[in-house]
Amino acid sequence: MNWNDYKKAVDALPLSDDFQERTQELVRRQAQKEKERIAMKKKGFVRVMAAAAAVALFTVSAYAASRWLSPSQVAQMHGDPTLARAFESGDAIKVNQSVETENFCVTLAGLVSGENLSRWNSQADKAHTYAVMILESLDQSPLERDNFPLDEYTFTPLVAGYTPWSVNNWTLHAGVSNMEQDGIIYYLLDVQSIEMFADHTVYLAFYQGTVPSRDTFTMAEDGTISFAEDFEGPHALFTLPLDQSKADPAAVERFIEESGFDKEWFTTVQPDEPDDGMEYDVQETETEDGIHIEILPKSGEETSGKELN
Amino acid sequence: MVPTGTEETICRLVREYSDMLLRLACARLSCVSDAEDAVQEVFLRLLTAPVSFRDAGHEKAWLIRTTLHRASDIRRRAAKRELPLEEAVQMAAPEPGVELLQAVRALPEQYGAVIHLHYYEGYSIKEIGKLLGLPAATVGTRLARGRERLRALLKEEIT
Repeated sequence: MNWNDYKKAVDALPLSDDFQERTQELVRRQAQKEKERIAMKKKGFVRVMAAAAAVALFTVSAYAASRWLSPSQVAQMHGDPTLARAFESGDAIKVNQSVETENFCVTLAGLVSGENLSRWNSQADKAHTYAVMILESLDQSPLERDNFPLDEYTFTPLVAGYTPWSVNNWTLHAGVSNMEQDGIIYYLLDVQSIEMFADHTVYLAFYQGTVPSRDTFTMAEDGTISFAEDFEGPHALFTLPLDQSKADPAAVERFIEESGFDKEWFTTVQPDEPDDGMEYDVQETETEDGIHIEILPKSGEETSGKELN
Repeated sequence: MVPTGTEETICRLVREYSDMLLRLACARLSCVSDAEDAVQEVFLRLLTAPVSFRDAGHEKAWLIRTTLHRASDIRRRAAKRELPLEEAVQMAAPEPGVELLQAVRALPEQYGAVIHLHYYEGYSIKEIGKLLGLPAATVGTRLARGRERLRALLKEEIT
């Protein structure tokens, strides 16, 4: 046996000839969707959803909590007795806070962080955070794992002071398992330990969508993260009660370094798109559907109206 | 700085790197469609979270590292559904190269990635160090330990 055999075996893999073309087509389709979404934002109709904005965080009653599986039971259901024990240990944090958003009640049940807490973790020497979230419908209709579009929703950690697209499930190498019992869906999130960020506000966000983007979140100058004003769809933002003494700025530095991204990308919200040097007038008109926003070149800059997209 | 985030730039990256990244992902994942998913996710991520690369070297390094991370995520999620990897190697009775490929896949990422980049892509230890952001000595150690583990897995000398 030699490495030429290895090369031959790799070369003989049944790779499809059109992978490049398919990937380019996928990129083009996705890019088109992004453009359409930006165009809608720029010249479209922004619906004012005052009622939907009134989402309040509340601590669940003991009665409600008793209806749900505990984080430890969720870990057991996942076939992970090691993690189940961790959720019952003194290091685990019980949160039990809920948000009602559209037709969902979303609850963050609890979390635990540390090394060697799960039998499924192939990186035993690396600390991980595990969190259990509960999703149920407010109209009492059962949520079923087979019929519910789980892929359309995301539970992800975010950290104040770091752009939502730089610190999240995707960059923290998260894995999510979903389980269902009695019409309630349980999420078990497994993510690189977020305790290293404990000297910042650390959030757990739930929303309809995938990778966090500028359409989903905004970051204020002080680093506070919130949902974009015109974000539509179920969403909730929990603040995690982490122990600040667990913060590890050196580990955060390593995380940034290992990511391959420039540090600025982590800490600074870049402009949406390059300034084209023109000035624009913004006209807002109230309509039955909300506010109609029209952006036109300032008088004298250009004779015909230019659509921004 | 090489800006990304535009369709044209990402399509160029797909043309230049997708074959290499797909082979790398296949060296970590036993299912080709999983490997394709991992690589496509890497390119789509550039669309939603644009980043400026310092130079072409940084660009390639980022793509390789992110592909390895995505492959690692997929492996982890699939781990509980699969047989223990050593068992999978023993069960298989394939061509010698296929057996070796399966053994490389069974290695932890830190060893499997350097072995593939060195023996398939032909990168030197120093080049792999730059690509993975590791000191050359660490890459050399991983290469040596990876080979040792392969010997143990295959129970024979690798020439």
